[in-house]
Amino acid sequence: MSAALLQLDGVSRRFGGVRAVDAVDLTVAQGEILGLIGPNGSGKSTIVNLVCGLFPLSGGRVRFEGRDLAAQPPHRRVAAGIARTFQSIRLFGQLTVWQNLWVAQSPPAKRSVAVFAARWLGGHRKAREAIREALEFAGLAGQRDQLAGSLSFGEQRRLELARALAARPKLLLLDEPAAGMNATEIAELDERIRRVREGGITVVLIEHHMELVMSVTDRIAVLNFGRKIAEGSPGEIQAHHEVREAYLGAGGEP
Amino acid sequence: MSALELAQAVFDGLLFGATYAVIGIGFTLIFGVMHKINMAYAAASLAGAYAALLILLFVQAPALVVFLLAGVAGGVIGLVIYVCCFRFMPLAAPLAPLMATIGMLMLIDEIIVHATEGMPLPYPALFDNVMLQLGEFTLRGDLLLVFGVSIACMALMLLLLYRTRLGLATRAVAQQPVAAQLCGVRLTRVNALTFLLTGLFGGIAGAMIGASVGTLSPLLILPVTIKGLIVTVIGGLGSIPGAIVAGLLVGACENLFQFLRGVTERDIYVMLLLFVFLVFRPGGIFAPGRGRD
Amino acid sequence: MDFYFGLAQTLGVHTLLGLSVYIVLLTGQLTLAQAGFAAIGAYVAGMLTVIAGWHIVPALAAGSLATSLVACAVAFPALRVRGLMLAVATIAFGEAVRLFFFNFDYQVWKGDIQVGPLGGEGFRQIRFFPENGWSTLEVMLFVWACVALVMAALWWTDRSRAGAVLRAVGEDEVAAQSVGVNLTAVKVSAMTASGAIAGLGGGLYAHYTTHIEHANFTLGLATFAIAYPILGGLSSVFGTLAAVVFIQGFLVEGLRFLGDWRNLLFGALIVLAMNLRPRGLLDAATAARLKRLLTGPGGAP
Repeated sequence: MSAALLQLDGVSRRFGGVRAVDAVDLTVAQGEILGLIGPNGSGKSTIVNLVCGLFPLSGGRVRFEGRDLAAQPPHRRVAAGIARTFQSIRLFGQLTVWQNLWVAQSPPAKRSVAVFAARWLGGHRKAREAIREALEFAGLAGQRDQLAGSLSFGEQRRLELARALAARPKLLLLDEPAAGMNATEIAELDERIRRVREGGITVVLIEHHMELVMSVTDRIAVLNFGRKIAEGSPGEIQAHHEVREAYLGAGGEP
Repeated sequence: MSALELAQAVFDGLLFGATYAVIGIGFTLIFGVMHKINMAYAAASLAGAYAALLILLFVQAPALVVFLLAGVAGGVIGLVIYVCCFRFMPLAAPLAPLMATIGMLMLIDEIIVHATEGMPLPYPALFDNVMLQLGEFTLRGDLLLVFGVSIACMALMLLLLYRTRLGLATRAVAQQPVAAQLCGVRLTRVNALTFLLTGLFGGIAGAMIGASVGTLSPLLILPVTIKGLIVTVIGGLGSIPGAIVAGLLVGACENLFQFLRGVTERDIYVMLLLFVFLVFRPGGIFAPGRGRD
Repeated sequence: MDFYFGLAQTLGVHTLLGLSVYIVLLTGQLTLAQAGFAAIGAYVAGMLTVIAGWHIVPALAAGSLATSLVACAVAFPALRVRGLMLAVATIAFGEAVRLFFFNFDYQVWKGDIQVGPLGGEGFRQIRFFPENGWSTLEVMLFVWACVALVMAALWWTDRSRAGAVLRAVGEDEVAAQSVGVNLTAVKVSAMTASGAIAGLGGGLYAHYTTHIEHANFTLGLATFAIAYPILGGLSSVFGTLAAVVFIQGFLVEGLRFLGDWRNLLFGALIVLAMNLRPRGLLDAATAARLKRLLTGPGGAP
């Protein structure tokens, strides 16, 4: 079947006495859309932060494409192919839409004077194309010179997604992208996530919005108090006894 | 150069360092509560010490009265700084209060220079001809007083912080300003009182500096500011125990460097001390959590 | 007329110092190291023209390069701490440099007099310009040519991806990291550039005043240097230039008649200015309005 793109082995993260993440094993296969759900405080966002390198691990290992990410700083992980969006939108509000995407251009795979020069002179065109594609995808082509901070909420969410994609990642971690969205916007988001996967990108979706999760994901993992309590297909999870106990009932309410 | 002379230099420096500790606490407390640096704090402290001298124009006041007046003056000046540099600043412009306090520092410096015509003024001291002998060791009476007063100030500050409602409110604001407000803490009141109290203790520290050096000169303002900031950084921004230890450390090292290399080169080594700490312990001696900005 | 040329020279050097802060301020870091950087640039360039007999242009370049190397070296430990702690570290650095030059002696015989830095007395006889027949006008033009070069470079940077990356780091470091920006590289680069620019300013200063000493490079100078971009706003390099003209031109010169009271007024004016315009003279909103004024109602790019 598909190879494991991301593998978490016994990953833990402690803040003082609190076990935010407790010995979690998780495998994300290439090309799948994995849902990560759980009540508030169950450790979902912490796992994203750990995979992205914003916090150090307290235990366990994170492997990407078979290689241990160890203590690599966040920007190296982005270069390796991991991108993310934030639960609360973290755009560069004082920069324009175009500039937001521009900053997110992935660094070259090989470093050399020739590559450097090419990026400066000709590589510019490639960067522009990538940004234009991202703008089209986000439906923001007409607003490239607008300050990111002045966009509407929905537009900002789309830009955040486009910015994560601008780095041409292999793995995309979406942290509650549907928060604050209405039904129409969520349907559009659903469509967009599918298109991302069609583009060959593996997706991990952290969400509270159950309808979206059940609709778009291939598999779901459930966390509670930092531990994984269930894993399976959407149908299996819906019927899972422990999961129901932990928290179902969040339905589709924001 | 004997071990005894070295030890003496370190010890004297330690005693003097207590004043740096008080100034460091002032800087660090304001930073902890407002997440901004009051660059004019050391200047205000020395200004308080200067202002206290005014009473000597009218009456032959004892040294202790002068010291206390320095505290009062320091507190008032602190409040003025709060109103001029922080009270009306929008949250979204972090550089503005910093720049304003720098302006304030310049203003205070100039006022002092104008008022004294740039001449250093003698400062009343206590116990300055008292020398206690502990074997081969000399304990200077005036330094012991300086140390004692500074320790008393620190103890009072800690008492206020940890045993009063105001202190509780201050600590709450330092940790979670929004939540504190939601609990009914009046932000401006806490901030103003923080400035008042740190100004009070700062003024007394300023008087102590004057008392131990014997004179007050506007040339002191900049070095004390810088050393106070160094103490704050080495101790860890927002950490009071850190400021205490760092103050003593900087005082001791400063005197040691002066003994070894003379006054002109002394401060270079103090700066280097800062860099050593930055490299090896960027979070400060007692790093208070993560290195927040 | 010479007086105005001299004033223009001062404005030029101060603009360079302000710009050296500007580029670091963009990344959200506060630096007060400019005085130290300027001192290094001044002494190095001065020693190269006076003792080694170099021409001014390579001497300035070498001074700027030397300063940028020091800036790079200092940046690594200093940038391990954030924001205000960095400010303190840079203050300490500036003072250390000043004290170093206070103690620095290097004298050589030139004909029948001794030249070179002499500790507290400073470095006299930096006479490249007069010895080579440069008029005050020519010196002023040279200074401003350098300023124009630096401003053009920074203006161009602002329009490139580098500019966007600098500002992104200044705005939100976590987000910047998460889209692949190497924070350390960006911050150290900004500091290195800052050193190069300030070093150039220092070198120019040394040559048009012909006499420098440690007391020229105090924290006060560094304070003026950060006042310019803060007052001028971070939207554009022209804000810094405007602030330099305003502070040095109007305040320093225009209020000269106040004599000693002038210094008193500075501090008070800064406090006032920060209360009235906390975002600077040329903040984003004002800059946008100016732009619309200049390009006209139909002037969309």
